[in-house]
Amino acid sequence: MRILLIDDTPKKVGRLKAALLEAGFDVIEESGLTIDLPARIEALRPDVILFDTQSPSRDVMEQVCLVTRDRPRPIIMFTDEHDPNVMRQAIQSGVSAYIVEGIHAQRLQPILDVAMARFETDQALRAQLQARDQQLAERKRIELAKGMLMKMRDCNEEQAYTLMRRQAMSKQQKLIQVAEQIITMNELLGFQP
Amino acid sequence: MMTINPLAWVSGSDAPERSIVNLGFMPLTDAASLIVAATQGFAQPYGLTLRLHRQPSWSALRDNLLNGELDAAHSLYSMIYGLQLGLSGSSATDMAILMGLAQNGQSINLSATLAAEGIVTADALSRRIHQPGQAPLTLAHTLPTSTHALWLYYWLAAQGIHPLEDTHTAVVPPPLMVEHLRAGRIDGYCVGEPWGAVATEQGLGVTLATSQSIWPDHPEKVLACTLAFAQQNPNTARALICALLDASRFIEESLENRRSTAQLISGEAYVNAPLTAIEPRMIGNYEDGLGHCWTDPHPLSFFREGNVNMPYLSDGMWFMTQFRRWGLLRSDPDYLGIATQVQQLALYREAAEHVGVIVPEHTMRSARLMDGRLWDGQNPAAYARCFPLHALADIPLHQSY
Repeated sequence: MRILLIDDTPKKVGRLKAALLEAGFDVIEESGLTIDLPARIEALRPDVILFDTQSPSRDVMEQVCLVTRDRPRPIIMFTDEHDPNVMRQAIQSGVSAYIVEGIHAQRLQPILDVAMARFETDQALRAQLQARDQQLAERKRIELAKGMLMKMRDCNEEQAYTLMRRQAMSKQQKLIQVAEQIITMNELLGFQP
Repeated sequence: MMTINPLAWVSGSDAPERSIVNLGFMPLTDAASLIVAATQGFAQPYGLTLRLHRQPSWSALRDNLLNGELDAAHSLYSMIYGLQLGLSGSSATDMAILMGLAQNGQSINLSATLAAEGIVTADALSRRIHQPGQAPLTLAHTLPTSTHALWLYYWLAAQGIHPLEDTHTAVVPPPLMVEHLRAGRIDGYCVGEPWGAVATEQGLGVTLATSQSIWPDHPEKVLACTLAFAQQNPNTARALICALLDASRFIEESLENRRSTAQLISGEAYVNAPLTAIEPRMIGNYEDGLGHCWTDPHPLSFFREGNVNMPYLSDGMWFMTQFRRWGLLRSDPDYLGIATQVQQLALYREAAEHVGVIVPEHTMRSARLMDGRLWDGQNPAAYARCFPLHALADIPLHQSY
């Protein structure tokens, strides 16, 4: 397993690196937060990202948000910060596991396992939500096209649906593709929706 | 189309637990309602996105249904009972049949070589098979627990041919049937369309019988999932049934809809076969490869006002009687109990009522099959024993499991 370790401790004590190497992981170490994290992830393709930080700053949280949005990966944060508000903020920005103090080599594997499992669940949920958003967006486009067709062909709702579906099926296309064609054609001809 | 506040399904407590459903299908004409539902916007109103996954064989589809790659699938009626009873090599898994997808539309075909020898009728086939000194014919079906095995066996036995003693049987995935016939590896087969029509169109085979000539309006394909999936996702299952009922109704609304459905499913991503092999038999126009044409009174059907879709208990039980008859089951199962568990009548009823499809009052139906025998779901154990040709294998009580 390839781990990208971001060391953000003031003295760069490297307390995690030794433990990770001891546990047999492939560790790539980066220091500080001046790096462009999403770009580094794209280049290095780590399986997991570990933050070692005394207290996660707003900059750290921002980087986490960017990663979650653009290059989703399991993120684990090792920190000395006990403040529950900071923890909540970290989880919200996309951290899979938030570990306060106490780094022991033998605890690393289960922590990583939990973080990976948590990440997978989150990703599945995200996919379901995305599908739901896309469904609603497609429904709106299909409704819009149906309305245009009803006006153009002077027909009722059911007839408009049937016309669009027959057209789609005879071209081996999806309904949404025909809806988009109708909308484009309407725009081209300058009809008002 | 009924549109009774479809948004009630998207929000509120009836919302499907999943918004994406992975659906498996085999490249067959009778998968049309799934393909139409997934591509023509029939599931969106119920909050579902249907992702279609074409499968290379029934065994692959079965494995992917069990390992969770697929949430639900276009399935052979009997295959689901084979899984329920543990007849498919794996251990028994509780299964759920959500609705019927299609009736009729399978066929028994023989090679053009045999046809050229004059074997173009059931009688001629029977004489050829019983002729001493002749090598046995190899006839293919699609899975040991397939409906195709059972239609083939039923038809052969009704001609006095014992399918397991008088012929060799082979398992071939539907889209490969024609290639195997061309290569001479098999002499004939029972399969779903268009793979019978493709052979007649290419002059490689002739259609000797349709499955509807064995049992008019017989149960064939179902929408199935594991019982665990149906229990964990009842709203998803119900929404899925609604979407497929809407699509099935749409296909049969007009000849034009049937024709454009044929056009859609002939596409490379779906059945991937010539339209000329799909459309005629789909709308009931048959040609048997010998120049004989007819309009079938019981063609492939997807809806018929919900008659196709009702998961009748007697339909499920029939397949178990044939497993028993041919020795796949060595003792009588609890026919009614198992069918009651597998057929998801309550979910079906709720969904059908929601989309305004009539649900028959009775959960059994009766039919007279080609040999004159009546099947009405009463006394299945006796029915399984009433056939002169069979492979009933009873194990002594002390060995029974």
